[in-house]
Amino acid sequence: MNGAHFIVQALKQKNISQVFGYPGGAIMPLYDALYDGGLDHLLCRHEQGAAMAAIGYARATGKVGVCIATSGPGATNLITGLADALLDSIPIVAITGQVSSNLIGTDAFQEVDVLGLSLACTKHSFMVQSPEQLGPIIEQAFMIARSGRPGPVLIDIPKDIQLAEMPELSSLQVLATKNKLRFPINASLIRQVRETIKLASKPLLYVGGGVGMANATQELRNFIQYTYIPSVCTLKGIGVIAHDSEYFMGMVGMHGSKAANFAIQECDLLIAVGARFDDRVTGKLDEFASNAKVIHLDIDAAEIDKLRLADLAITDNLKEVLPAIEVETFISAWQKRILTMKKEFANRYDHPGEAIYAPAMLRQLAEMKPADTVICSDVGQHQMWVAQHMFVDRPENHISSSGLGTMGFGIPAAVGAQVARPDDTVIVVSGDGSFMMNVQELGTIKRKKLPIKILLIDNQRLGMVRQWQKLFFDGRYSETILTDNPDFVTLASAFDIPGETIVIKSQLQGALTRLLESKGAYLLHVSISEEENVWPLVPPGAANDQMMESLQ
Amino acid sequence: MKYLVIIQADNSPELLERLLRVCRHRGFLVQKMNAETTENEKSLHVTLTVCSERPVSLLSKQLEKIFGITQVAALGQEKAIKASA
Repeated sequence: MNGAHFIVQALKQKNISQVFGYPGGAIMPLYDALYDGGLDHLLCRHEQGAAMAAIGYARATGKVGVCIATSGPGATNLITGLADALLDSIPIVAITGQVSSNLIGTDAFQEVDVLGLSLACTKHSFMVQSPEQLGPIIEQAFMIARSGRPGPVLIDIPKDIQLAEMPELSSLQVLATKNKLRFPINASLIRQVRETIKLASKPLLYVGGGVGMANATQELRNFIQYTYIPSVCTLKGIGVIAHDSEYFMGMVGMHGSKAANFAIQECDLLIAVGARFDDRVTGKLDEFASNAKVIHLDIDAAEIDKLRLADLAITDNLKEVLPAIEVETFISAWQKRILTMKKEFANRYDHPGEAIYAPAMLRQLAEMKPADTVICSDVGQHQMWVAQHMFVDRPENHISSSGLGTMGFGIPAAVGAQVARPDDTVIVVSGDGSFMMNVQELGTIKRKKLPIKILLIDNQRLGMVRQWQKLFFDGRYSETILTDNPDFVTLASAFDIPGETIVIKSQLQGALTRLLESKGAYLLHVSISEEENVWPLVPPGAANDQMMESLQ
Repeated sequence: MKYLVIIQADNSPELLERLLRVCRHRGFLVQKMNAETTENEKSLHVTLTVCSERPVSLLSKQLEKIFGITQVAALGQEKAIKASA
């Protein structure tokens, strides 16, 4: 057995059944081992697509995603995917080939210092320096990717090590990692948290992606059911709280709901759960929930006090913390206020004229979609409309590049999600800008015959940038006009993906039905007006209650 | 503010890079540095003098997350102002 076969066996032993990748010179021994190694490998058409498919796979299942690339350009193409996984704390393991050990540092063909490149965009990274290290490093890589706050891990493997003779893999040597001592949750801290919640008259839950990743969605729902504390969520927290939960106000922040943003400014106690006070959430930080005490619950101690000082903080597992802080509340006046705001500021879907109104279309699609549908989104205006107007059953069903905001994320993420969950419907909502950024992955959809439903919202603009140019740059539309877009339906047909274009409201019902009922992949291309903007919008540098709601 | 940061780590070829990258990215300027390996190159001991407008806990908590770093101590650290687990 050589190193490459060893890697395949080790992956299988880690219960990995699916990998995404792209072959090349320095990774050829591994691809030879994959040829009949018993792992499912999906060829993506760009390494960035492979990394994002691994992310989609991981996010749709909670398992570790694995992607593979060759040295040099293969590895550099993975970088954006790794950075995306780092900012959204997604567990993926990336394996890259490297030139042979004796060539490292000689500027060999397709040689680049991948370990050096990886430092700023992975949770951790390894370069294997001897065959003996291979087993322990693979073991450690998966442990690091999954543990604590999850994240991407890269293993760079020189070609000679892939070819080196290895002992048979009996069972992976469990590495002598210094196990962190586990302390019981600090009881007096729990008592203080309970007391603080009980005394608050206007408490508010601010729920982030950490809840889903801690597998604590049920615990959080139980906490809400017990305490009836009103709640808001972040982009990554969508799906954690049931969308029809009585005192839930949706997303908070730059494009958050009015009710959510006002509630944040009015609350006297903010309970941040698996959230990190990102600038897109807080707006002007000094004025964010400025009357509130803060309880911060997050597994990553480095998030505590990073942007907002917490009055109380707990960094233990949310699954254990949340049940321990359930406490009776007496907040009926606050609850009434929330209900009033929810009613007053409810989304409106009436829209004049024949032109298709994207928010209403997305709402309609959300209501029509089968249960447990996965929605993948690209990045831009459509992404915010998805967040504001669609809804999902659980956080694994809303896959959106949140921290890094990576255009081109949607299609490859949907590939990963559909491969992971072949029996569930996967919809990708994209824009005409984002769609073109990883359009080659239509080839991957064709290759694997994935029944992905693509909803392409086309305003012939880089819409979000255009919106900012309109609002903050005197309408100087620098490089955001895409009236020379390709014919998207023809483009998709080149990949055997059928589709249609619609332009008016009366075509919607039929077209959405055809999209959802299509046996295979389908492209629904929707033309909308370039004048549509995402509202509300908290302008840069403003506090969250200073929302713009129209061009006036 | 000037801080003294003392770091103990399991040595690896790229450990110093990881350490210095985090210092720079998190907004801490290194003014003085001493690094030496001990125990047959197995562990690394680093002393840094850094300056920043930011509280040193922002740096030390990020350094503690680097795999391979086993201990971080920071002097000049502001007093803990709240209970935390």
